[in-house]
Amino acid sequence: MMADTAASTGSSNPATAKIDVRGVSKRYATDDANTPPVLDDIDLTIGDNEFVTLVGRSGCGKTTLLNIIGGLVEPSHGDISVNGRLVTGPGEGKGMVFQQHALFPWLTALHNVGFGCRNNGVSAAESDRISRQLIELVGLQGFEDKYPTELSGGMQQRVAIARALATDPEILLMDEPFGALDELTRLEMQDELLRVWSAHKKTVVFVTHSISEALVLSDRIILLAARPGRIRREFIVPFPRPRQRTDPQMIALYDEIWRNLA
Amino acid sequence: MTGSVRWQDAALGVIGTGSLFVLWELASRLGFVSPNVFPAPTTAIIGTLRTVPLLDILGHVGTSLLRIIWGFALGVAAGTVIGIASGWYRAFGVLTKPVIELLRPIPPLAWIPMAIIWFGLGEPSKVFVIFLGAFFPIVTSAYKGMTGIDPALLRAAQTMGLRGPKLLFRVAVPAAMPDLATGIRIGWGLSFGVLVAAELIAADQGMGFMIMNARQLGQVGVIVFGIILIGVMNLITDYFIGAVIRRRIGRWHAV
Ligand SMILES: Nc1ncnc2c1ncn2[C@@H]1O[C@H](COP(=O)(O)OP(=O)(O)OP(=O)(O)O)[C@@H](O)[C@H]1O
Ligand SMILES: [Mg+2]
Repeated sequence: MMADTAASTGSSNPATAKIDVRGVSKRYATDDANTPPVLDDIDLTIGDNEFVTLVGRSGCGKTTLLNIIGGLVEPSHGDISVNGRLVTGPGEGKGMVFQQHALFPWLTALHNVGFGCRNNGVSAAESDRISRQLIELVGLQGFEDKYPTELSGGMQQRVAIARALATDPEILLMDEPFGALDELTRLEMQDELLRVWSAHKKTVVFVTHSISEALVLSDRIILLAARPGRIRREFIVPFPRPRQRTDPQMIALYDEIWRNLA
Repeated sequence: MTGSVRWQDAALGVIGTGSLFVLWELASRLGFVSPNVFPAPTTAIIGTLRTVPLLDILGHVGTSLLRIIWGFALGVAAGTVIGIASGWYRAFGVLTKPVIELLRPIPPLAWIPMAIIWFGLGEPSKVFVIFLGAFFPIVTSAYKGMTGIDPALLRAAQTMGLRGPKLLFRVAVPAAMPDLATGIRIGWGLSFGVLVAAELIAADQGMGFMIMNARQLGQVGVIVFGIILIGVMNLITDYFIGAVIRRRIGRWHAV
């Protein structure tokens, strides 16, 4: 069964590489030369339809790496390719959910979700239809016409998730998307994400501080070390989904990741 | 703000202004100040309405409003375009910012002699001075709004494929709206402020002329009436502009 799952995700098989991170280092302009780089020579290959999670302590460079993959931040060294083509900028099928939700304050929830569609030639009626579906998916029906300031933090985050899904990108880059949610909503959103992921064949790079969340969701967990930011270890999560947190094997893996994190 | 709080605030405002008028009225009636120098508001208003034909007054108000609307509209147009462009296109900003900073502290009234030489004594010179009053606060706040946009919003839009003019008009401009709106409101107030001064110089119509003319005729009441009229006009129009702004962006941005 373990071999089965690994094969179906195609992890680290260059032939089906969706995202290829090669020798990426990053030093911000404001860093002085003596401090170790935020990211130091990161190599990471992510397979098509793979669900990869980045974990690591606060400040270790998870957001930076995600932004680099998304084409929003330029690496100091190295390069990224998606589908074998060099990434030169944002967009092009890479949807993002930001750590700070970054909703447009002047648009209602519905129009925030439909923003990508409306601005990419989809008719208003069609993008409203798509948006309503996604708003329902994230459990916010009835709040379509609220502005971001009129929503709670967790609701804002869910709007941001719906917005990232609206353009149906083949890659989803999600930076602690469930961080502001209560435990129950979080579990529901994890289920929904897995459903969307498997139904629509998406490649997901996910950032979280919750090891158990990483275990429930991912094919592979990448543990980053801070300054210099390197990949400390990788963990394959070979268990079939849906996964039980109480499964002894899950608990064993949890403990192992925990020991490496500390 | 809830409706009842807004009414309460409005009521307090009316009480405050009302008290001032009552005090003034009493001071004049009881002889604390000489009515020849500073007549009571009722005396000034009733006296003016008796001596100056209503059509003349309306003519002055109309002329002034027309000038101010022209100057202000030009100020809004130029200030918005230049402010947004200099906040968005870095090179343009580097080019224009020092010029704006150099000219901004000059009081618009200092331009009056220049305006008369350039445009003569007619309407354009007054419109020009009013334009300056509106232009600088608007251009500065548009620039501030554009450079203060949360970069996360631009990034979010970029990940959805927006670039160039679309990114500018669909994201940056709406994001800068609150600052721009503040600038527009301040600009309107300043336009009003320089209006009268512009009309004091060379005009045969307008509220400023009315006041200046009354001084020559020794009609203190008309002067007082004109001053109250200017205050009231500004209050009404500012309220109207504030209401429009609240309607457009009040739901998502506290104004
Ligand atoms: N724009 C920036 N300019 C300069 N330094 C930055 C910038 N963004 C991040 N850094 C630095 O890079 C390091 C990694 O930041 P990053 O946001 O990638 O961490 P993270 O792993 O996402 O942390 P968290 O879990 O707290 O979100 C930090 O030391 C931070 O100070
Ligand atoms: Mg982060």
